[in-house]
Amino acid sequence: MDSEDDMMDANDVESVDDDFYSGEMDADCYSDDYGDYDDDVDEDDDDDSGPDYDFMAEAADDSDVVAARSQLSYTVLKEEDIRQRQEDDITKVSTVLSIPREAACILLRRYNWSVSKVHDEWFADEEAVRKSVGLLDGPVVRFSDAELVCGICFDTLPRDRIASAACGHPFCKQCWSGYISTTINDGPGCLTLKCPDPSCQAAVGQDMVNALTSSEDREKYARYLRRSYIEDNRKTKWCPAPGCEYAVDFVAGGGNFDVACLCSYSFCWNCTEEAHRPVDCGTVEKWILKNSAESENMNWILANSKPCPKCKRPIEKNQGCMHMTCTPPCKFEFCWLCLGAWSDHGERTGGFYACNRYEAAKQEGVYDEAERRREMAKNSLEKYTHYYERWASNQSSRQKALSDLHQMQTVHLEKLSDIHCTPESQLKFITEAWLQIVECRRVLKWTYAYGYYLPEHEQAKRQFFEYLQGEAESGLERLHQCAEKELQQFLTAEGPSKEFDDFRTKLAGLTSVTKNYFENLVRALENGLADVDSHAACSKGTSAKVTGICKARATKGKGNGKSGGSSRNGDD
Amino acid sequence: MANNTNLPRRIIKETQRLLSEPAPGISASPSEDNMRYFNVMILGPTQSPYEGGVFKLELFLPEEYPMAAPKVRFLTKIYHPNIDKLGRICLDILKDKWSPALQIRTVLLSIQALLSAPNPDDPLSENIAKHWKTNEAEAVETAKEWTRLYASGA
Ligand SMILES: [Zn+2]
Ligand SMILES: [Zn+2]
Ligand SMILES: [Zn+2]
Ligand SMILES: [Zn+2]
Ligand SMILES: [Zn+2]
Ligand SMILES: [Zn+2]
Repeated sequence: MDSEDDMMDANDVESVDDDFYSGEMDADCYSDDYGDYDDDVDEDDDDDSGPDYDFMAEAADDSDVVAARSQLSYTVLKEEDIRQRQEDDITKVSTVLSIPREAACILLRRYNWSVSKVHDEWFADEEAVRKSVGLLDGPVVRFSDAELVCGICFDTLPRDRIASAACGHPFCKQCWSGYISTTINDGPGCLTLKCPDPSCQAAVGQDMVNALTSSEDREKYARYLRRSYIEDNRKTKWCPAPGCEYAVDFVAGGGNFDVACLCSYSFCWNCTEEAHRPVDCGTVEKWILKNSAESENMNWILANSKPCPKCKRPIEKNQGCMHMTCTPPCKFEFCWLCLGAWSDHGERTGGFYACNRYEAAKQEGVYDEAERRREMAKNSLEKYTHYYERWASNQSSRQKALSDLHQMQTVHLEKLSDIHCTPESQLKFITEAWLQIVECRRVLKWTYAYGYYLPEHEQAKRQFFEYLQGEAESGLERLHQCAEKELQQFLTAEGPSKEFDDFRTKLAGLTSVTKNYFENLVRALENGLADVDSHAACSKGTSAKVTGICKARATKGKGNGKSGGSSRNGDD
Repeated sequence: MANNTNLPRRIIKETQRLLSEPAPGISASPSEDNMRYFNVMILGPTQSPYEGGVFKLELFLPEEYPMAAPKVRFLTKIYHPNIDKLGRICLDILKDKWSPALQIRTVLLSIQALLSAPNPDDPLSENIAKHWKTNEAEAVETAKEWTRLYASGA
């Protein structure tokens, strides 16, 4: 199986670079970037940081902007943390302003749970603030009678069955209960509950809710209050993963919005779609809209089987990597995405990985207007299909990789540890490979949305982009194949072997190399492909291309790196 | 009166008061067979385009009353920017501004006030509101016309 991917000479790390770049490059170019990858692999024992995070942290070596990204810009809050923070904020305001807890709560909600805003407003004009939320200084009506008439049921009742907000308007406890309960069941508006008297603005706080309603209503109210703490606060949002009850507290800065929740879901804090770095939110929104508009046309792409390009029998895709092998006797090896022979994708044959590229059908000869229109319509659907299929395939490949990773962590690592007499702590290179695959599939997926919107006429940029994407994708396919297929033999092996050590070196090497490719890709896209000029300048021939990128990259570390923002240049 | 056995005391009290001390220009009496259903008549307020008209309405107290607002609707055709063809009324206290401390009486008084002061900025009937805003004099004429046509006598 591994014969085809022999670009890795297991014991010679330097040869990795040479093979990947067809031996045309000046080896010094990459030494800075690659020289230390051995250490990365062995010493990175930061187990609990998610894949995204790791990825970013590793990318941080060459610019301040990137370095800023690597710092934790968010905190994931569990229910208990949320409760605690909210309680702390309420206590703070209540202490500083010398007002009851429930009044502090009403004020905080009014000012979107910003403690400093409450303080500012209160000390600027206490009276106006009190008025705006209905916090009265004292009662507006006073009664001295032993019995009072409830303003809702009109019954005359003894005082102990009557309750009032700060205003003093009398309502019986039973009517209060009905009134509060009705409002709570109407939704979060209950958080701004007022006295039932239509002319009165007196606020009704949580103390009254707790004193006058059922435990069920009290719990509902408390839930709305907690929700408000997250939803009305500009710094916090709920994790959008279904069923997840964690929230994320985000500190602005760094220009990167990717957030990894403790539930393992990664999402963009800005638009709450799944994490899509290095592609910007606008592109993602357009792409998702486009997908839902085209969903009927595209359903066939999500199908899990395609006819083998050689024998035409349907071949099911049940693996993550795109390298397909038809069942015997055909055994034709092909690429799931372009249906071309896999041998064309290899380095050894001199083939160049290009199935990420889209080339519009050539329009030659004379077309009449109708023909031209038909051709254009066909092309535009073809173009979308091309990008959508790759986007969707990477999506499902990532899902597969996630479940493989899980399987690895729960079952296979232990097994491997037994067979090969190696402590699990030394099998981390496998987990790391899978984490890298999961993250790279995500990035690669979004680069297809990016590619779709990259204007056709930006020839140089397209070329540069497709080159980087192709390099990254080809590296990832090798890594994925190695982690997925080549690992299998060691799961069924009899005992320890030299081959397993070779496998370790190969997989760790591929992980590191692929990581580098993706870092380049991410950096270039976040930079709006600004390095394209230095790329174009020396890319007259294919062989020069490599040197061009090499130079572009070398420059980046010093000058360009500082200006790297996450915005794609806005040419749509 | 079979289905009126569980009528809350509040509704009984409100009904008694409506009958014994009616608000000026307003009458409301419960239906014989359903004490939650009221036949209402409102006289067009003086110095409004509805002056001289007698407007019939129906008012129903839902099960949740007074926690929920009564349902009120004009039965007499009326040309008014906040009242639609079906007689439905755009009035905040009948919707989100309802409070259980409000009563049938306060609701009807508010409707009467709405006849005196149409509010074309918060319209229920787009066409009439537009008419009101572009040519108030003409809209008022139409309202008077409709009052003569549909609300005289009854
Ligand atoms: Zn009050
Ligand atoms: Zn009561
Ligand atoms: Zn989550
Ligand atoms: Zn986003
Ligand atoms: Zn075949
Ligand atoms: Zn291919």
